Amino acid sequence: MDPDVPDDSPDESLLYLMLAQPEKVHDMTIAVLKRSVRKGCTPLIITVNQPYKVLARMYAKEGIGPEKYYVIDAITQYSGGVCTPDPRVKYVTNPSNLTDLGIAITEFLRQMPEQKKCIIFDSVSMLLIHIPTVTASKFLHFVVNKLKLSDVSGIFLCVEKGLDPVILSQMSTHVDKVMDFESPESMGPME
Amino acid sequence: MSPKAGKGLISGSKKDDDACTDEVFRGVFEKIQTGILIIDPDTHTIMDANPLAEYLIGRSKNELIGSTCHEFVCPAKCGQCPITDMHKDIHNLERALINAKGETIPILKTVAKATIHGREYLIESFIDILDRKRAEERKVALIAYMNESIMRVRTPLGLMTEDLQRLADQAKGGEYDAEEIRMQLQIHANNIRQMVRTLEELSAKAALEQGDDIPPEFRDFFIGK
Repeated sequence: MDPDVPDDSPDESLLYLMLAQPEKVHDMTIAVLKRSVRKGCTPLIITVNQPYKVLARMYAKEGIGPEKYYVIDAITQYSGGVCTPDPRVKYVTNPSNLTDLGIAITEFLRQMPEQKKCIIFDSVSMLLIHIPTVTASKFLHFVVNKLKLSDVSGIFLCVEKGLDPVILSQMSTHVDKVMDFESPESMGPME
Repeated sequence: MSPKAGKGLISGSKKDDDACTDEVFRGVFEKIQTGILIIDPDTHTIMDANPLAEYLIGRSKNELIGSTCHEFVCPAKCGQCPITDMHKDIHNLERALINAKGETIPILKTVAKATIHGREYLIESFIDILDRKRAEERKVALIAYMNESIMRVRTPLGLMTEDLQRLADQAKGGEYDAEEIRMQLQIHANNIRQMVRTLEELSAKAALEQGDDIPPEFRDFFIGK
């Protein structure tokens, strides 16, 4: 079994914290997304990193069309970009607007018609630019609880050594597994 | 008084010796920079207190003598004295002293038994470690500020470096339009601005919170002077 990407997440509604070196975070994001889609799980991508427009192009390049995922985009308005209305996208003013981010997550989890869904949080490390680690930890705890109550899987992406050991230990207790992402090559064929 | 060769400080007849010993020990008792309480182990009443004990507790010797030690230097309840009831050793242990204002002062305490004029007493000696504790807390707080700064700046910078490299490739490749490139550049510019603001806030907190403990030159450095 592929050791790098949680293969069981869509079936078992597990929560993961996935860690990678900074230069591998992009590959990790794509790999996790591909794996989720391949397993028949519809991902809700929460991005505090790349605007939806860029993500859509990036994912399309990887063969994943916009009908395969939902997005909560907390970065387009922050960049001064135009928020093109899309039923599969919700915009939040900026990554520090945790109230709206929480509301958007709740709404989407309720609205998404798909049976199997999961969230991909991209990324915990970039969220820390905008809010203190303690606040981030509380927010992630809130999201984890929401996912557990909704029986939805969640994958939180983070840079290895990008968390305070105390926060990492707290996060480790919130999620079911902490996994290290090595390389896309070690994942085997995706399709 | 100067010690004679081979005889130490105390010399002369037995009576002179006793008087001299009392004087020497009274001098040490009065001047030593350690709080000392002499306690009756049967009743736990304070029999004597030196000036530093008076100062640290914030009560005069007259007020202290006759009081029980539970009121000031030992939070244990009656019948639970760690020395006489629980038979424990207290040697250089961190304990708390309650002063006249009701404040808790951290102390390093030792309790020894001593026989004075044929009777056994407890000698409680203690030093105030409040400054040391504050310095330790300060150190922990500074490390926490440093950690927070590193977590909120170094790691995102690593990610941004990778993103900027990808952005350069995107610009070169021509697949992404100008607006997509602009948005990403703007995000990085905003992020850098936010990181600078975070560093300034953390530095200001580190410098101002209990700032007395930070050397002035460090404080100036923290606040960017």
